[in-house]
Amino acid sequence: MTLLIGAWTIGLILSLLALGVFISFRIFDFPDITTEGSITLGATIAATLLVVGVSPAWATVAGFCGGAVAGATTGILHTKFKIHGLLSGILVMTALYSINLRIMGKSNVPLLSEVTLATRAEQLAASLLGGAANFNVFGWEVGVRDGAMFVFSLLFIALVGVLLYAFFRTNLGTAMRAAGDNAQMIKALGANVDHMIIGGLALANGLVALAGALLAQYQGFADVQMGIGMVVWGLASVIIGEALIGSPSLGLTIVGAVMGSILFRLLVAIALRAGLDPNDLKLITATFVFLALILPNLLASLKSNNARVTNA
Amino acid sequence: MLEIRGIAKTFNPGTLNEVRALQGVDLTIQEGSFVVVIGTNGSGKSTLLNAVAGTFLVDTGAIRLAGTDVTRWPEHRRATLIGRVFQNPFSGTAPHMSIAENLSLAARRGRRRGLGWSLPRIFTDQLGEHVRRLSMGLEGRLDNAIGSLSGGQRQALTLLMATWLKPQLLLLDEHTAALDPKSADQVIRLSEEIVSRDRLTTLMVTHSMQQATSLGDRLIMMHRGRVLHDLQGSEKRRLRVDDLLARFEEVRRGELLDETAADMLKQTYV
Ligand SMILES: Nc1ncnc2c1ncn2[C@@H]1O[C@H](COP(=O)(O)OP(=O)(O)O)[C@@H](O)[C@H]1O
Ligand SMILES: [Mg+2]
Repeated sequence: MTLLIGAWTIGLILSLLALGVFISFRIFDFPDITTEGSITLGATIAATLLVVGVSPAWATVAGFCGGAVAGATTGILHTKFKIHGLLSGILVMTALYSINLRIMGKSNVPLLSEVTLATRAEQLAASLLGGAANFNVFGWEVGVRDGAMFVFSLLFIALVGVLLYAFFRTNLGTAMRAAGDNAQMIKALGANVDHMIIGGLALANGLVALAGALLAQYQGFADVQMGIGMVVWGLASVIIGEALIGSPSLGLTIVGAVMGSILFRLLVAIALRAGLDPNDLKLITATFVFLALILPNLLASLKSNNARVTNA
Repeated sequence: MLEIRGIAKTFNPGTLNEVRALQGVDLTIQEGSFVVVIGTNGSGKSTLLNAVAGTFLVDTGAIRLAGTDVTRWPEHRRATLIGRVFQNPFSGTAPHMSIAENLSLAARRGRRRGLGWSLPRIFTDQLGEHVRRLSMGLEGRLDNAIGSLSGGQRQALTLLMATWLKPQLLLLDEHTAALDPKSADQVIRLSEEIVSRDRLTTLMVTHSMQQATSLGDRLIMMHRGRVLHDLQGSEKRRLRVDDLLARFEEVRRGELLDETAADMLKQTYV
């Protein structure tokens, strides 16, 4: 069971990545590759600060802020310097690779004895349980460390989801969604679309970096390579979420992204257990997203072809 | 009051695609005046409205609105003073957002957008009443996405949005051209109603001679990036569709003359 609860936890943590990708790709229709650098940046900042003794909460917040700065940079490259969106993200992602190495001073920072959010959650759970080594989550017996981190992630993601939903219901958040939906219209209503894009990408990459910060603390290390393939990973989660929910309502879409992330991680865990070579994982994920992207059009054209045949 | 002084705009200057869309336009529009703009295709009507709205900055000249020089202001800043309805019904509304949300965006046109709720009760309570006045049957569908509405319904909503906060200037660019005749009629009646109720200073481009003669207190006819005719007062009131057609015919003949002159020059010199 430990593997599956681990998959749940990682799925929950990476749902922050999915939410970030949802904001940039879906709300702003902006193919933001910064994601791959900012998830590593979040992990790097958090791990490095933890090693020098900063409290886990502050290290995590710092990770978020780092990601927000990275996202804002991409937004500025795109809006102020008129660089293509994809290229802006690639530039920042590439720069972040060096920055991440600089921050860590090496390519990998282990978190062995440091106090992290994971160990904090474990301590709290242990004291609540009066020292039992196992406890019960939805009927599963799980170790305190895994269970505590799972419950913590669940509460944390629920909180972030609610805050995000609330934000997108404010005047500022609504204007941001409108900037993604119809820039010409919101400009004519007096909003500065450039600022909306910069702010939106900052928020998106802040969330992505938050995922990185939590992931590093849960897995016990930060690694400069950990961001590779994460954009596609996040997209896969968002697409699965949309398929699960099938509704354009904002609240449900946020829930969908979280569910998609968890389901995707569970599928991966099961596939790996069934003997899938981990090296093939990214190829399979990319293929999955490719199919999910072309399938709706393919089905529609098949349908209209059929209609034509029957009409003839 | 809108004051336009000698504005000019050339697109793609110095290239093969160079277009001198505005070639020195002077226009003063008094507060509360409703000005109809007509002209042949490509005569610069939309460019004039875009120049005023700040879609681009003009090459030369100055634009003052409500006593402020807005010549260098970016579009979103001018939107604090200007309400706008586009020709394309898809341009003025956010399709994936609800009617209520679109209106809430309009209710903060040019104001700070902070962390207050976009749809507080006090706002949604008054929505139904405003939307009912459009007579488009939308009052019961405030939570529906705009994407599900017809072009006429969208234009009516865009009009309501553009005027939700009373603008110093209302810009209407052939806002009924893409609609079926019945919806076009409805939207024109609404426009007239709102403009006269709020005494809005209005600049409306139209392709319809009918609208040009029956609406507004002043008419300007554009040609090749300039104002060719400017009719006000009794001259505008007496104007009939036939008079307008005659003026267009005049322009057309002028063009023909130009062409024959060009041909002659070609034959002589080339
Ligand atoms: N953004 C632009 N870039 C290049 N040319 C433009 C642009 N906008 C308008 N034009 C050109 O300027 C001329 C005037 O256009 P416009 O003002 O749209 O005419 P209309 O009177 O039909 O509204 C046309 O020749 C048009 O092709
Ligand atoms: Mg036009």
